[in-house]
Amino acid sequence: MISKKNKTFMYIVIIGITLMVVFPLLWMVLLSFKTSGEIMASPLSLPKSFNFDNFRHAMDVLDFVSLYKNTAVVCVLALAIELVCTFFSSFVIARMYFKNKRIQTGLFSFFILGLAVSPFILLFPVYKINVFFHLTGIWGLIFPYAASSVAFNTLLLVNYFKQLPTEIDEAAVMDGCSVWTLMFKVILPMSKPVLATIIIFNVLYIWNEFPYASVMLRDVSEYTLSMGASFFKGTYTVDYGGIVASSLMIIVPELIFYGFFQKNIVEGMTAGAVKG
Amino acid sequence: MYWLSKTRYKVGLLLPSILLYSVFIIIPIGMAVRYSFTKYSGLGRPEFTGFSNYIRMFSDELFWSSFKNTMIMFVLAFVLLLVLSFLIAVLLNKKLKGSDLSKALIFSPAIIAPIIVGIIWVYILDPNVGIINGILDAVGASDLKQEWIGGATLTPYSLAIVYFWQQLGYLVTIFIAGLKMLPEEVMEAAIIDGANERQKIIRIIIPMMKSNISTVAILIITGVFKIFEIVQQTTGGGPNHLSETLVTYSYTMTFDSGDYGYGMSLATVTFIISLIIVGLYSLFFGDNDAKKEARRKRKEEKMLKKGGVQA
Amino acid sequence: MKKPLRKVMAAALALTLIMSLLAGCGSKDEGTSGDVVTIKFGIHVANPEEQENVTYQIVQAFNEKFEGQYAVEFEASDTETHSKNMKLEAEDGTLPDIFWIDASEAPDYAANGYLLDLSGYLEENADIDTALNGMENAFNNGEMQYGVPYQCNVQGFFYNKEIFDSANVAYPTDDTTYEEFVQMVKDLKAAGTTPISIGSKNSGFAMWEFNEFLARYGWEDMYKDMADGNAKYNNDELVKCFEKIDGLREAGAFSDTVATSEYFDAKQAFIDGNAAMFGTGQWDCAAFDEALGDKVGFWWGPKFADTDANQDIAMKVPSAPLVVSAAVAEDEAKMAALTEFLNFYYGEEAAGISFAGSIFPATNYSDVAATDTQYAMNSMIEVLGSGWGSPAAAPDQTLNAAVQEALYDSIFGVIQGNYSPSQALDKMDAAQAN
Repeated sequence: MISKKNKTFMYIVIIGITLMVVFPLLWMVLLSFKTSGEIMASPLSLPKSFNFDNFRHAMDVLDFVSLYKNTAVVCVLALAIELVCTFFSSFVIARMYFKNKRIQTGLFSFFILGLAVSPFILLFPVYKINVFFHLTGIWGLIFPYAASSVAFNTLLLVNYFKQLPTEIDEAAVMDGCSVWTLMFKVILPMSKPVLATIIIFNVLYIWNEFPYASVMLRDVSEYTLSMGASFFKGTYTVDYGGIVASSLMIIVPELIFYGFFQKNIVEGMTAGAVKG
Repeated sequence: MYWLSKTRYKVGLLLPSILLYSVFIIIPIGMAVRYSFTKYSGLGRPEFTGFSNYIRMFSDELFWSSFKNTMIMFVLAFVLLLVLSFLIAVLLNKKLKGSDLSKALIFSPAIIAPIIVGIIWVYILDPNVGIINGILDAVGASDLKQEWIGGATLTPYSLAIVYFWQQLGYLVTIFIAGLKMLPEEVMEAAIIDGANERQKIIRIIIPMMKSNISTVAILIITGVFKIFEIVQQTTGGGPNHLSETLVTYSYTMTFDSGDYGYGMSLATVTFIISLIIVGLYSLFFGDNDAKKEARRKRKEEKMLKKGGVQA
Repeated sequence: MKKPLRKVMAAALALTLIMSLLAGCGSKDEGTSGDVVTIKFGIHVANPEEQENVTYQIVQAFNEKFEGQYAVEFEASDTETHSKNMKLEAEDGTLPDIFWIDASEAPDYAANGYLLDLSGYLEENADIDTALNGMENAFNNGEMQYGVPYQCNVQGFFYNKEIFDSANVAYPTDDTTYEEFVQMVKDLKAAGTTPISIGSKNSGFAMWEFNEFLARYGWEDMYKDMADGNAKYNNDELVKCFEKIDGLREAGAFSDTVATSEYFDAKQAFIDGNAAMFGTGQWDCAAFDEALGDKVGFWWGPKFADTDANQDIAMKVPSAPLVVSAAVAEDEAKMAALTEFLNFYYGEEAAGISFAGSIFPATNYSDVAATDTQYAMNSMIEVLGSGWGSPAAAPDQTLNAAVQEALYDSIFGVIQGNYSPSQALDKMDAAQAN
C-alpha cells in the first residue's frame, strides 16, 4: 500500500530520530570507560583504553544485589497495590452508570489532580504521615509510590476504558455476568496494551525515584537503586566515572524491561481483539 | 451496565483508590497549602502570617522571571511534543522493519539518570565548550553562535528542547498504545476508499484518538510544570536564578534558603496555574462527558420550553 | 454474583492490614545487641569512606579502640538530603546522637531546643577546651554552646607555580596589593591561561577566596548590625569590596564557563593545569598533592588600601559545627559513650589522623604536623606562620540560610557581570528583610 518512495522517506525519518535520541546513550557508554578526570577534561574523545575500572569500582562501592532486590520488592508491592486499586476505580468511573454525570467527572478530575503536583512539595507532609502510620523503611515508600501513580493510571485507564465499545458490557449483562466476571474476564483481557503501558511507566517511575527514597530510607541495607549516584558525588569530590558506570547498570534492566513490555503491547492487542 | 451499577459496588470499588490517594496525596497537598500561609523554616512551630507570602510574590522579580521561563518552556514543549510524538507514533506503528528497536531506543532518554542528562547536554549546549558552538565554529558560521545555556535569554528555549528529547519516548509509547486500539476495519475501509496518508490521519485517526490526544496533552501540561531535574543539572537555575522555573525556584526557596513557607506558596501557585491550563484545555478541546451531557440537557430544556409554549 | 467481589474486597483489606502490621513490626529496636552502646553519627555525605575519609578513619580508630564497649555508626546521605533529613528527624524525635549541620542552620536547631548545651562537657574536659583554643566560640549564641567545629577550614587561593613561571609572573605574597593582583591577572590572561577557575552552577558556596575580601573590609565588626537589621549590607565598605570583585571581572580574571560549570569542573580545570589559580580550602589538598605536587602554592588574597579595616587577616576558621541531640542527655549510657567519642574526636590521635589526610583538625596540638610530601598543606602551614589572627567564623558562615544564599548569588552575580556591586548588595538586604 505504501509507495516505495514514501517508505524510504519514512525510514530516513525513523533512523534520523532514533540516532538523535540514541547518540547520548552511546556517548554515555563511551564515557563509562574513561576516568573521571578524562570525562571532565575531554568529554568527546574516545576512551584511551577499554578498561572496566569504573564498573569494578561501582560494584565495590555499591551492593548491587541488595539494590536490585530492594528496588524489585518495592516495585512489585507498589505495583500490586496501585494496579488493583486503580483498575477498580477507573472501571467504575469509565463504565458504570451514574445518574448525575457531574459525580463521574468530579471523581475523574479529583483523581487526576495529583498529576499537577511536584513531588518535592509532598516530601515533608508524606514523611509526617508515614511517621503517623508507623511506616518505616521500604514500607514508607510503597504506599506513597502507589499513591503517586493513582493520577496517571486513572488518566490512562479511564480514557482507555471509555474507548471500549459499550456493547460488550450489554452482551455480558445479557449473559448474566457478574461485575466480577465482567471486569476480569471481559475488560481485563482487552486492556492489555494500556496495562502494559501503565506497568512500564509505573515501574520506571519507581526505579528512578529519588526524593522520597532519600528521605524515607535510613538503613543502607534498604537503599534502592536511585540512591546509587549520591555515593559518587560528595560535597567536595565527584567521581563521574562511577556515576556513569552505575547509571548504566541501572538503565540496562530498564531497557530490557521496556523492550519486553513494549512488545506485549502489540501482542496483548491481538489477543484482546480475538476475544473481543 | 445500568444493572450492575449499584451504589454498593461503586463505593466498594472506588474506596481503595480514594483512601490511598487521599492519605498520601490529597492530605499532603492540604498540609503544604497550609504551610504556604506561614513563616516556617522546617523546624519548630510555623508562624501564621496570612497572605503575606502571596503578596510578597507580586513584587518578587524572580517569581515573575521564573513564571516567564516556565511559560516559554510550556508553549514550546507543548507544541513540539504533541505534534511530533503523534506523528512519530503513527510512523512507528507502521509495520516497518526495525520499528520495535527504534521504539525501545527512542524511549531510552527517559530513563537516563538526570545527572547524566545534565553532563551530556551541558557538553552539547555550553556556549564555550559545547558541541553546537564548536560545530558552528568549524563550518565557519561563528556568527550564529549563541549562549544556549548560561546566558539570560535562551536557556528556557534550550531546556524545552532537552525536555522534548527526554519525554518523546514516553508520549510516543502512549500514542502507540492508543493507535493499537483503532479497529483495523476502519483503516482498511479508508484505504479502499482511496484516502491518502494525510487524509487518513486528519479524518480518521485524529478524531478517533481524541481521548488519547487529550491524555497526552494533560501529561505534557502537568509535566512541564514539574520540570525540575533537567534545569537543576544543566544550569542549576543560574546564572543568578535567571533560568529558574517555578518549580526550581520554589525548591530553592524551600530548601536552600530555608524559607519553607514562601517555597510552599510558590509551589501552590504553580500547582494552581498548571490546573488552570489543564482546565482550559479540557474546556476547549476535551471530549468531556459532562459537557456533552450539559449540551444535551440544554437542548432538551429548550425543546421542553418550546413544547411548553405550544401547550 | 456478589460473592467473588466481596472476596476480593476482603482479600484486599486483609492484605493492607497485614502490610501495615508487617510495617509496624519492621521498625527495629535499637541498642539491644549486647552491652555495646551505639552512637549514631549523622554525616553530610552518602559515602563517608570516600567522601569524608578523615572522619571515617577517626571513627574506625574509635570503634577499634572501644570494641565491645562503644560503636559509632554513620547515618550518611548527601548534603542536600542530609539537611532535609535532620529537619524531619528533629520533628519526629529520631535525630542521630551527634550530627554535622550547616552553620547557617544550626542556630535554628539550638533555638528550638533540639541541641545539647556542650558548655558542661567543655568545662569538665578542660584539655579539649584548651586544644580547641577558642575555635568553638563561633557556635556559642550567648546562651549555650550548641556545637563544636567539625574541622577547621583554611581558605584562600591555591596557585600553580608552573603556570606563573611560564607566564613570567611573580608569585603572590602576603603583601600583594589588589592593584598588583589585577596586573597579575592581566599578565596571566595575556599569557593565554585562565587566571581564576571558578564555577557557579549548583555551587554558590564555592566562593571561599572571597571570604578574605569580606574580612578585609571589616566584616567581623559589622555583620551583627546587618543581621539585626540595624545596618544595610549595601554600605560604603561592602560596595568597595564588591567593586574589587567587579574589577577582577573586568580584568578577565574568571573562566568563561562560570555559569555552566560546577565547583568540581572548576577544580578539574585547575588540576589539569588549565587555570593559574583556584579558590578553595584544605579539603582539596590531597587532590592537589597528587596532581600538582610541589608546584602548588597558597595565598590568602590581596590587601586593600582603600579601607581602614585590618588587612593582616588569615582565614583559618571553624568549618560547620558538629552538634549533639538534646535527647542524648536523657540516656546516661549514651551520654558516657558520647563524651568518650568527643574526647577521642578532639584528641591528639584523631588530630594525627586528620593531618595525615591533609585536613586541619579543629584542635591545636603542637606535636602534630604534616609530612614533607603534603605540599599543598605545607604551603598553607607556611602562610599560617605569619601569625595573623583569623575571624571567629568565615563571613559566609555568619549568616542565616536566606541571606547566605543571597550572598552567594550576589558574589556570582558580580563575577558574571549580571549585577552591579550595589545591586548585588541590595539582594542581600532584600533577603534580610523577608
